[in-house]
Amino acid sequence: MVGPTQLIGINISVGDHVTRKLGPLTVNMDIIWATVVAGLVVVTLGLVLRSRATSGVPGKFQLLWEFLVGAVQKQVDDSIGPRGAKVVPLALTLFVFIFTCNLFEVLAIGSKLEWLPAPTSDINLPLAMALTVIVLVHRAAIKNRGLAGYLKHYFAQPFPPKLFFINGFMNIIEELVRPVTLTLRLFGNLFAGGLMLSLLAALVIWKLGPAPIGAILSMPFTVVWKLFDMAIGAIQAFIFALLTILYFDTAMAPDEAH
Amino acid sequence: MTLATSNFLVPNGTFIVVLLAFLVVLGVIGRFVLPRLNTVLTERQEQIRGELEAADRAKADAEEADTERRAMLEQARAQAREIVAHAQATADGIVTAAQAEGQAVHDRIVQAADAEVVIARQAAAEELTARVGEIVLAAAEQVIGREISADDHRDLIDQAIAAVRAESEGAATAGSARSSR
Repeated sequence: MVGPTQLIGINISVGDHVTRKLGPLTVNMDIIWATVVAGLVVVTLGLVLRSRATSGVPGKFQLLWEFLVGAVQKQVDDSIGPRGAKVVPLALTLFVFIFTCNLFEVLAIGSKLEWLPAPTSDINLPLAMALTVIVLVHRAAIKNRGLAGYLKHYFAQPFPPKLFFINGFMNIIEELVRPVTLTLRLFGNLFAGGLMLSLLAALVIWKLGPAPIGAILSMPFTVVWKLFDMAIGAIQAFIFALLTILYFDTAMAPDEAH
Repeated sequence: MTLATSNFLVPNGTFIVVLLAFLVVLGVIGRFVLPRLNTVLTERQEQIRGELEAADRAKADAEEADTERRAMLEQARAQAREIVAHAQATADGIVTAAQAEGQAVHDRIVQAADAEVVIARQAAAEELTARVGEIVLAAAEQVIGREISADDHRDLIDQAIAAVRAESEGAATAGSARSSR
């Protein structure tokens, strides 16, 4: 008799990729492939918009873009104000690109290797985006306050200058943690989503005698999970873009604001 | 191409490639897509603003025309009233003048009639006095039985005529005063 206990025995491995050596570096070809496809999708959608955009009555496609840009613009205006105009392209690209990548999870079947895995379920892409954001945030902070002001800022708040040591300690920890949390939040959500699909796929082997209970249950569970996962993908893309805007806000805010 | 299981929390060379891919996407969106979309949005904003301004202008024009129309209507009404008032005044003037003329004609006729009456009475009186002398003389001749020379008693006759005339003139003056009233 095959029972539920056997499920526990299933070996679901993580971090499996099609890899290739590029000199001293190992690259995950499936992730690169999926990233390029996602990038092509976004770039194509963007270029189609560019060629079709009209100042007259917009179509649904253009309206969707306008809605996205309008939402990002409003968020930036509300948080940073007019100075934040340069953040809009970054935040918009992050949202659209991450959302597209996350949607690839809908195509996943929970196997060891996917044809088109969500590139955000691998740590490299979230890390690349998070570091891009953090580097640009620090650059904006230095531009805003000057190098001296930028360095002084770490020790001048949130407590009175007498406690500069504590201020510096807290701020440096915060700055170091930011890229890590930004990366792991996105990666963890998508990685867990993929893992969930693997678990649901593994359910298939659960049989009660000849009755394929697991196979029957697996299908509705997978459908429900994928719908839920799409929402998670949208939310994570939104959070990543929103946090980017907020980090720029703290970097570009005048000192008195703290 | 190999299949490998590695620590999924440790980034590897993939990082560089996907970073480049992301930067390319960012560049395309930031340089080609977003500016175009912003241009389009600004253009549309301008169009809508222009249309709203045109609508405002048209509305203002219509209001101005309406005000003008009302003013002209009011002016026309005032003119009409003036014309009617003028016509009324003219009509009143004509009526008054006609009445005055009528009164004058009437007065003239009455005066002429009065004058004729006076003249007729005087003529009658003259004739009467002339005849009275003759009648008195004839009567007196018969009474005394002989001819009386009118020349001999001229003084007496004249006195009698004067008395009669004075009497008749007093009656004529009273008559004319009554008729002119």
